[in-house]
Amino acid sequence: MGIHETLTLRLGSLRREWKKRWLWQRRRILCLAAGGAAMALLGMPPLPVGPPPPAFASGTGDTGQSAAEVCLGCHGSEGMTLSFPSGETVSLLVDPQKFASSVHGKSLNCTDCHTGAQEIPHPQLKVKSRREYTLAQYESCKRCHFANYTKTLDSVHFDLISKGEMRAPICMDCHGAHDIQRSGEHRARISQTCARCHGEIYASYSRSVHGKAILNGGNTDVPVCTDCHQSHSIEDPRTASFRLRIPDLCASCHSDKVRMKKYGISTNVLDTYLEDFHGMTIALYRKQGFTQKALQAVCTDCHGIHDIQPTTGPGSLAMKANLVKVCQRCHGNVSENFPAAWLSHYEPSPKKFPLVYYVKLMYRIFIPFVIGGLILHIILHVWRMATNR
Amino acid sequence: MEKVETMLTEKETEKPQVPEFVVRFSVLQRLEHFVAMFLFLVLAVTGLPQKFYQASWAQWTIIFLGGIDWVRIIHRASGILFALLAVMHLGTILVGVLAGRIKPILIPTLKDFRDAIQQLRYYVGLSDEHPQFDRYDYKQKFEYWGLAFGGMVMITTGFILYLPNLATMYLTGELVPAAKVAHSNEGLLAFLVVIIWHMYGTHLNPDVFPMDTSIFTGKISRERMLHEHPLELLRSSASGSHPMDGGKGRSLEPQLAASAPARLQSANTPDQSREISSE
Repeated sequence: MGIHETLTLRLGSLRREWKKRWLWQRRRILCLAAGGAAMALLGMPPLPVGPPPPAFASGTGDTGQSAAEVCLGCHGSEGMTLSFPSGETVSLLVDPQKFASSVHGKSLNCTDCHTGAQEIPHPQLKVKSRREYTLAQYESCKRCHFANYTKTLDSVHFDLISKGEMRAPICMDCHGAHDIQRSGEHRARISQTCARCHGEIYASYSRSVHGKAILNGGNTDVPVCTDCHQSHSIEDPRTASFRLRIPDLCASCHSDKVRMKKYGISTNVLDTYLEDFHGMTIALYRKQGFTQKALQAVCTDCHGIHDIQPTTGPGSLAMKANLVKVCQRCHGNVSENFPAAWLSHYEPSPKKFPLVYYVKLMYRIFIPFVIGGLILHIILHVWRMATNR
Repeated sequence: MEKVETMLTEKETEKPQVPEFVVRFSVLQRLEHFVAMFLFLVLAVTGLPQKFYQASWAQWTIIFLGGIDWVRIIHRASGILFALLAVMHLGTILVGVLAGRIKPILIPTLKDFRDAIQQLRYYVGLSDEHPQFDRYDYKQKFEYWGLAFGGMVMITTGFILYLPNLATMYLTGELVPAAKVAHSNEGLLAFLVVIIWHMYGTHLNPDVFPMDTSIFTGKISRERMLHEHPLELLRSSASGSHPMDGGKGRSLEPQLAASAPARLQSANTPDQSREISSE
């Protein structure tokens, strides 16, 4: 069988497959029609109803193998290169082993993603550089991964691309192309992926209590980049709205009793923070929809951002000896007494902050005593008036 | 104790031309109450939502007032004004007492405690006579001193919270969270006392319902004066002028004036006579 005949056969089977899927797809589309119309009216990207998504593993097993073999007939061996007008020369070799062991190895064919390469010889590419080709190519991810694709539209990375910064990452930069693996399987690798561009931050992270635990000890309880920054809808962390969410972000783990028990860390940290002036202000700013940069301290201002250290260690900003300097960053030239104004996440007790504890206790007795007495006096007055009548 | 009230009522029926109202509060006192009331309201409205900021009503109030920053500005400005009012009040009294123009009649005496016990005995039915009060009864004195001490706590702790840098210059930092606990609890207590006790005494109390207007108009009816402050009425009759009348010499009860001193002597306990002897 010649190449062309195989291709025709393959396309025929694909068409049949698409038809089956299309019948199923139509039901879904009808359901989404109303929403789609509304979205179109609002100027949002239309639903991906263009070319139906390619078939998945279910019906393509054998034919898929053969179709990939067709491509690998040329792309499976060294020597083929492609030159871009930019002067870059790229090897067109695809490692069959790598692709087969990737998540898509059993479910997708080459042309499912390389839709422009269905004809042989392939049509002339209209891109000027390798990056431009990648940027054009990543559109094919959204045909299946539409939800995650839309999330990226809100990200700081997409924002950069739309402003012309072509180095900002798209799907393949983080996930790879032919060798895509499940991202959850190698947790440490997530941060290493970010490190390819954010090297300095990664270095700082890897020295932190969180970074050390996972990178040296394989501890999966600690956060990696995406736990705080999200994976697809990565927001600019310098914005006001991100800052206001930081306490909740940290609390998502630090209020988790099961996880914190392992390390003997208090889960009271959020509540005690919210009890205090800073936490209260931040919580209210969030409720108010505050849009300016909040100047109130959040977790990271005292504990550090990527370089968080245990509060018992000498490197910690929040350590008692260092605390006054941290306070002075915002509060001017305050005295050594000042940091004690913050209860260091402790609940007042006879041992810790006894003054606060006893003032609290005094009022807990005094208020009911006074108010109870006054109410009793009123009741007696009313009672006497009623009996007088 | 002699029944002063009954005797005065008898006299009143004989002499209907006696003025219907008595001036009880001077213009300055009325103004002072009004300003204190206004500031108290503003402080409560901007303070309580800060104490209970996690409740939805509190958040609604804060957002309604323009956000927490505005709420704090309003609260602190009113707090400073309240402190000024307190200083003025204290100053006036100090100067007045030193100059001999004002008598510190609000200072609690033994009679107040006896009155309170007598009042409770009357309420529970152990006695058929309720105590006879002078210008301020024990409830009013309690409220005054509650406000005075509460105000001092609020002002001191308020300034510690407002200027923590200054407060911790020489004092321990723990003072700041302690001040916060005290400020928020004392504020709540003050609010509850006003809402429960003061509102009952000046609005819901059947004697004055729907409202005791004397602190706004300065006037109180003779009837109520007779019922609530008979000793003061008697005393003013005795001296021929009302204590708050600015010494203009308007007699409230000319007919009573002649026989008043003798009655006062018998109506008052010895420790009380010290206060009123020169009025």
